[in-house]
Amino acid sequence: MSYADWIVLILTLAAIIVYGVFKSRTTKNLDGYFLSNREMPWYIVLFSIMGTQASAITFLSAPGQAYTDGMRFVQYYFGLPLAMIVLCVTFVPIFHKYRLYTAYEFLERRFDVKTRTLTSFLFLLQRGLSTGISIYAPAIILSSLLGWNIYWTNIFMGGLLIIYTVAGGARAVAYTQQLQLIIIFTSMFIAGYLVVKYLPEDIGFFDALKVGGAMGKVNIITTGMSENGFDWRDRYNLWSGIIGGFFLALSYFGTDQSQVGRYLTAKSVKESRLGLLMNGLVKVPMQFFILLLGILVFAFYQFHNAPLFFNQTQVDKISQTRYADSLKNIQEHYNLVDLQKKEIVRSFAATGNVDFSEGNKIQLININKQRDSLRVEFKKLVEKPEIKGDSNDTNYIFLRFVLDYLPKGLIGLLIAVIFISSWGSIAAALNSLASSTIVDIHKQFVNKKMSAGDDFKMSRLYTLLWGVFCIVVAQFAYNIGDSLIEAVNILGSLFYGVILGVFLLAFYCKPVKGNAVFWAAVLGEISVISLFVLNEHKIIDLGFLWLNAIGALLVVMLGFILQFLVFRKKSFS
Amino acid sequence: WNGWYITVIVVLVVQIILFIYFTKYFS
Repeated sequence: MSYADWIVLILTLAAIIVYGVFKSRTTKNLDGYFLSNREMPWYIVLFSIMGTQASAITFLSAPGQAYTDGMRFVQYYFGLPLAMIVLCVTFVPIFHKYRLYTAYEFLERRFDVKTRTLTSFLFLLQRGLSTGISIYAPAIILSSLLGWNIYWTNIFMGGLLIIYTVAGGARAVAYTQQLQLIIIFTSMFIAGYLVVKYLPEDIGFFDALKVGGAMGKVNIITTGMSENGFDWRDRYNLWSGIIGGFFLALSYFGTDQSQVGRYLTAKSVKESRLGLLMNGLVKVPMQFFILLLGILVFAFYQFHNAPLFFNQTQVDKISQTRYADSLKNIQEHYNLVDLQKKEIVRSFAATGNVDFSEGNKIQLININKQRDSLRVEFKKLVEKPEIKGDSNDTNYIFLRFVLDYLPKGLIGLLIAVIFISSWGSIAAALNSLASSTIVDIHKQFVNKKMSAGDDFKMSRLYTLLWGVFCIVVAQFAYNIGDSLIEAVNILGSLFYGVILGVFLLAFYCKPVKGNAVFWAAVLGEISVISLFVLNEHKIIDLGFLWLNAIGALLVVMLGFILQFLVFRKKSFS
Repeated sequence: WNGWYITVIVVLVVQIILFIYFTKYFS
């Protein structure tokens, strides 16, 4: 990083913090601190929902995902617009009607205290841990590529945002998210423009897509069908996207306080609904364009030298071991194949026509397969027991391109984008962790009669404590191993389905009461964790995305069975 | 609000159809 980059990075981050503190003036009670006095218009709600969902990994991982696996990841979001509709019809009017602070408060009205406490505890456990991991995930990437100390990177990634989050609560979070998204989208657009500009002279935007398409990267719609019927392990296809994505989005936006807390700040049901529906309209195109950026980077690397592995730290590490000769062989072979690929692609480009014939496509796909198999060989070296490195470089691809090719100043801006996109989701998480702790736990079991001023002070203290807790989790997250995003998603899948099941019973199944729901949730949670353990030990074969749907349906079924077989007399006596 | 909900569903379906064409055109 040059001086110009450092100046841009520091100024951007300082601007966000100052703006957040400037917007911190709020009334000193729970309504002001957690709900911005319920005065937000729909467009602030929309920015806040989007800023909470999009973390650094969204902007780092998605282009890398498109580079390695193509664009089919966009299907993961197809269930989201449908979930927004269900939320608008059911969840939003009820949450507003009772003027709730947290989603779990409603469960006490509908069921009882123990159901409310169980679900808020599951939320705090899951969200506290996954926020810690989401601090570490971008920090380790920056640390590897820029040589920064990981502990200090964690502290800056998870610490600076605490200043405005503690000071201004939900209002500061919402306004900074608005500014953050404007900076993020502007930066990503400039990066995309420059990728196309750096392509050879005769190659334009559509030609770049044809290059990506010829190599099978423009696979937006896939059906998940293989020779043996539907592949339940295939993670991203039309059906897992619409069905699995629907349940995931419904539980995330409907029962996770970090999202519910965003649209509870709206000034009316109408403003909440408009914010959510607009999110349903713009989310799929937004992900499409981020993935498209990955395809453009892929096309760019077909005309330039693509690194064997995008995380250089791992390459350097292996060159210091007894596998250095193996690495040299792989690297030399890879360079030859890469050169061959460049010559073929450039020869098309020189004719000014990149309409690949079937023969050309087969040639390109074969070369790509050779490159991929060499990358797999290298990854096997990284996974050797004495190296124990990170063999997944998907999240490093886009940032490596930025660092290697973008001009000074812009590099600093894109590093800032990683920080502020992290801050947007972490700040919302801390705000919601604090609101659930004080409303669902502290005021229930510790001190029921607190003044508005005490509420405000305790809320700030809990926000600070959760901020420190998440940084501590981040400092220990290196024990998880390589796939951090997967760890966050799996952690979510273990708890989301069950919590969603409880809410579905609350809204749609009038006869089912508190005791039945509580034990259905406990048994459902044990079942979901058992399925996960069986899958880990290869006894069954199930993609984790399905755990959400299974958890929700299991709780609904168990709730009915327990209500009518076990708790029947109590309810009707 | 039904008009809004139908709009969101129609936009999703149109997007999926466009994506199918996009996939076929470029691959």
